[in-house]
Amino acid sequence: MILVFVEDPTDELSQQAVAFARGMEEEIEAVTIDEGAEYAPATWARTLVARIEQRSPSAVMAPGTDRGNEVLAHVGAMLGQPMAANCVSVTPGDPASVLRVRWGGSLLEEAAVHGAPLLLSTAAHVVAAGPIGDVETLPVTADASELDQMVRVVERVPATTAGVSLTDADVVVSGGRGVGSAEGFAVIEELAELLGGAVGCSRAVTSAGWRPHSDQVGQTGTKISPEIYIACGISGATQHMAGCKGAKRLLAINPDGEASIFASADYAVIGDLHEVVPAISAEIRRARGG
Amino acid sequence: MNILVCVKRVPLTGGKINLTPDEQAIQTRHLGFTISPHEECGAEEAIRLVEQHGGSSTVLTLGPPEAEEQLRDMMAIGIDRGIHLLTDGTEWDPQATAAAIVEAIRGDEQAYDLILFGNESADAGNYQVAIRVAHALGLPCVNGIKAISVDGDRVRCEQEVAGGRDVYVVAVPAVVTVKEGINLPRYPSVPGRLRAKRKPVAVSTPARPESRLEMVRLVLPEGSSKQAEVLGRGAEAAPSVVQVLQEIGVV
Amino acid sequence: MLIAAVVLAAALAVSATLFATRVRYLLALLRSAAPVRRDGDVPRRVRNEATIVLGQRKLLQRFGPGLIHAFIFWGFLVLAPTILIAFIGVVDKHSTLPWLGHQGWFAFLVDLFAVLVLVGVLAALWIRKVQRPERFKGSHLGEADFILALIATIATTLLLWQACRIALGLNEWPASSAPASDLLSHLFARDGATRVLERVFVWAHVITILTFLAYLPRSKHLHIASAAFNVWYGRTGPGGRLEPLRFDDPDVPEEEIRFGAGTAADLTWKQMLDTFSCTECGRCQDACPAFATGKILSPKLLVMGLRDQVFADGGAIVRGRRGEGPGEGAAGAGAGGGTAALDLAALVPGAVPEESVWDCVTCGACVQACPVSIEHVDHIIDLRRHLVMVESSFPAEAEPMLRDVERGSNPWGRAQSERADWAADLGVRVLEPGDPAPEYLYWVGCATSFDDRARRTAESTAKLLRKAGVDFAILGPREACTGDPARRMGNEYVFQAFAEQNVATLNEAGVTKIIANCPHCFNTLGNEYPDFGGDYEVIHHSELLSQLVREGRLAPQRSEGLSITYHDSCYLARHNDVLAPPRELVAAVGEPVEMERSGKQTFCCGAGGAHMWMEERAGAINSERVREAAATGAQTLAVACPFCAVMLDDGVQGAGEDLRVVDVATLLVESIEGA
Repeated sequence: MILVFVEDPTDELSQQAVAFARGMEEEIEAVTIDEGAEYAPATWARTLVARIEQRSPSAVMAPGTDRGNEVLAHVGAMLGQPMAANCVSVTPGDPASVLRVRWGGSLLEEAAVHGAPLLLSTAAHVVAAGPIGDVETLPVTADASELDQMVRVVERVPATTAGVSLTDADVVVSGGRGVGSAEGFAVIEELAELLGGAVGCSRAVTSAGWRPHSDQVGQTGTKISPEIYIACGISGATQHMAGCKGAKRLLAINPDGEASIFASADYAVIGDLHEVVPAISAEIRRARGG
Repeated sequence: MNILVCVKRVPLTGGKINLTPDEQAIQTRHLGFTISPHEECGAEEAIRLVEQHGGSSTVLTLGPPEAEEQLRDMMAIGIDRGIHLLTDGTEWDPQATAAAIVEAIRGDEQAYDLILFGNESADAGNYQVAIRVAHALGLPCVNGIKAISVDGDRVRCEQEVAGGRDVYVVAVPAVVTVKEGINLPRYPSVPGRLRAKRKPVAVSTPARPESRLEMVRLVLPEGSSKQAEVLGRGAEAAPSVVQVLQEIGVV
Repeated sequence: MLIAAVVLAAALAVSATLFATRVRYLLALLRSAAPVRRDGDVPRRVRNEATIVLGQRKLLQRFGPGLIHAFIFWGFLVLAPTILIAFIGVVDKHSTLPWLGHQGWFAFLVDLFAVLVLVGVLAALWIRKVQRPERFKGSHLGEADFILALIATIATTLLLWQACRIALGLNEWPASSAPASDLLSHLFARDGATRVLERVFVWAHVITILTFLAYLPRSKHLHIASAAFNVWYGRTGPGGRLEPLRFDDPDVPEEEIRFGAGTAADLTWKQMLDTFSCTECGRCQDACPAFATGKILSPKLLVMGLRDQVFADGGAIVRGRRGEGPGEGAAGAGAGGGTAALDLAALVPGAVPEESVWDCVTCGACVQACPVSIEHVDHIIDLRRHLVMVESSFPAEAEPMLRDVERGSNPWGRAQSERADWAADLGVRVLEPGDPAPEYLYWVGCATSFDDRARRTAESTAKLLRKAGVDFAILGPREACTGDPARRMGNEYVFQAFAEQNVATLNEAGVTKIIANCPHCFNTLGNEYPDFGGDYEVIHHSELLSQLVREGRLAPQRSEGLSITYHDSCYLARHNDVLAPPRELVAAVGEPVEMERSGKQTFCCGAGGAHMWMEERAGAINSERVREAAATGAQTLAVACPFCAVMLDDGVQGAGEDLRVVDVATLLVESIEGA
């Protein structure tokens, strides 16, 4: 039996985790923690541990989100068992074998997991989300120690920035080194606005001080999954690609026909973004009849 | 306050990762090395907190002899001392890494108020070493933090979530993992680099336990070479681009 | 007579004392400054004194104003003995200098040059008051007027004195020897009034001279003494070489290492002498591409600002040093090892606005224009060094470049493992450790290896070298950045790490000759690496290619009607005197047409001084140059540098011009292969 921790039944990544577990051809039990309970990772983990001790699953899975990984890591620490984060596939056995993500997705690791139950979180967008089915809501366990309860959300500060968020946007238009300056982003912002999308950037741009870190798409920035990702003047370094792997489609605009981003792109325009992007904006306006 | 920052030496990959023939490691022959971005921000945060509240900072790494370079880099921007847990360069799994760190902390004459980690390392990305260290030491662990402030013996931590930020308040001593963006790491001065050469580094060679999460081999993902459809060159490509956007339904 | 002698002696004593105390102070300042080696190559220094000082060569680069100054300068050389004649004459109206005072030819020269001096002063006043050229913007014109007035007074009183003496019959040579004075003498009758006037004029002359003497070292007129020394101690080596700093001198304690110039106390004695020698003429300002495009930087104002700070802090500097070794002296640096903590103002932004330090593209046009051998670029680099290495203060957009160079070995953030990708199918030998050394090591450079536009040059060069059967190899991933961008940013520490690393790689490989297509690599490898144990014969790819064409090993076909204008790269033409070879290639493939600012007068593309990675905060230097190129009517803009290629192509695209920017190597390859 596989126990699946559902962080949020309405969230795509949790749904993917359930679908992943279903693919294992074992009975699955999907659980989530009481919605009313504020997030407290160790407490939630203790709740799961109680259920694990009760039901003795062969494997425990969670979505490879920040919180999914966090809770599962706590479970691993509580049980003294290894945890494999962001797995792409599993081969049961003794020991079980997983194929898991490294470098944000640019590399994979085949690992043998010497532990039981098998604790793993699922990599994003490897398996399509399916109907989630039954999810049992667990009340927070009474076994949580004082230490467990110490770390819990005590306050929620609402976001101050308006506009489309990177994580929710259907369209993200990003600029890299090729933009050349903070002012150069005006053409990127224009296109993003026309498409109702968000503006992103590469790490070189935030290091240069042209955009805030909250705009950064990448392995250590925000990981996005828009319908289309338009990357302008971005060469395609692995740490950046790690952030946009979830994009359904990638359009790369770059003057260098040999840039590595083209190897990951669905569509390519070879040219200078300062010419191409305004031209696209103009064409959109024209197509809309204005 | 006394702060410990844990960092890991990782290669600077470019646009493509190449593996050694035995598939056990990345080919690093012509690559430079650095520290995972989250961790570098952790070191900068430690320095800022010590500047604000007094005390001292320590940087620790588990890694090969070359990892001393990363320790000196962090000491160049202001960390006071270093701890080098020497390995022969082979990988240690998260549990082994955590155990070695815990042993070093227990054996350290200094008691730490805050132990900072990066949210995850850039290469292995296991997301768990900090949590395991916290459990072993009986300390609270807050993850993925984008802002820290200290008030007396309480630490207020902010975590980015959809729609805003979640706030945690814990008492020290505590373990906190941070994310890049919490600050902008400073650029080292040359006097700082020269001083760093003379700062103390305690070196030890922990015994390597059996791997529980054992790397068998590394594999390059398939489909890493797509054939992009070239929509055109320069501004002339605009109509084709808009056509694609219309087909997707975003125009 | 006795009274006159006493009065003269007293006045002379006062004036001489004022002069001497000031000069002693200036010398103390120079002695308290940081050290620098400016000896050796004496024949060159003698030549410089002869041509630049005596011959006024640099001043004559602008012929009109240069000639004016030459009149005044040569005038004062010739008129020098008349000072003694006047001193003697003030005491005894019947005496003069033995022998020389009696020479008719000397009287003629005096007359001639006195008139020329006056002509010069009048012309100078006309330029300053009527023409009012831009280069004087920011200069202290009032002080200049006063000095011109003193000079005019000296020449006028001299002529009038001579005229009176002729009228009184006191001349020791035939009146016709001194035509001007003779002419003026008709204004004076041989009477008592003239006898009084004769005394008036000679005393006026002497007092003016003595006033000038006391005023001289306290004004910019100090240049008449300091300039001669400044020219002597000017650089004799290649213009592109920067003076290295030493971080590991066992005799210098860590707190006293000089990391460039943070305060006035950190300036070297040559830099101080530079500030003493500035006449605020503004030729550097006129030549500066940053100033020309609306930026704050003016090399003239920079030097003036530094000068003012030196004098503001002078007392503290002299007191603080007292003959001890060099030190940082930065405010708050803390006392260490006996050097008093000098609480001096930071040069940036105190004396020099921060933005102007970063505006500089290190093109050297200012240094080339300066008539008194001021080395503005060295000042700016030393200011940058302190800002970057001690304060960690520099434009944020350059930080990724600095980090990428240090950790990734190239400024582009690309993996070194991809450095030889351009050579993939070209049959180029990549030198591995242990391989036999090639005749030539082709140093490709970071820009040419990674930039999509510059890469073409590598492909073209490789094809041409192979076609001509040249034995060459590249280092591929083992070729690390020469460190030039880091050095020009001011990060000398990172630069030296790369210099040492590359020298080790090259020496281990047994390299003796290097071909470089990037003038910055060319400059660093050839002029700067010798300071780090790397002595190679470094040639620019255009030099080798033009040699191969001359030898017939490459046979280009000239295209009639292909008009090409060639843009000289600053680091090639101005800093390193490579002017002809690229032009030979251009002439071999098409019809050359020159821009007005060409050769050593070239106008920068805007990428130097690490500006490839910094934003321009005002008008664009590259656009200015593209305008000039387009105005020649040429269809092709030939370059010999990857930075120039990128900057000028950006400029062409931005301006929508129909101009093809292409490297001379690519032009050559195209003319050989045909289409």
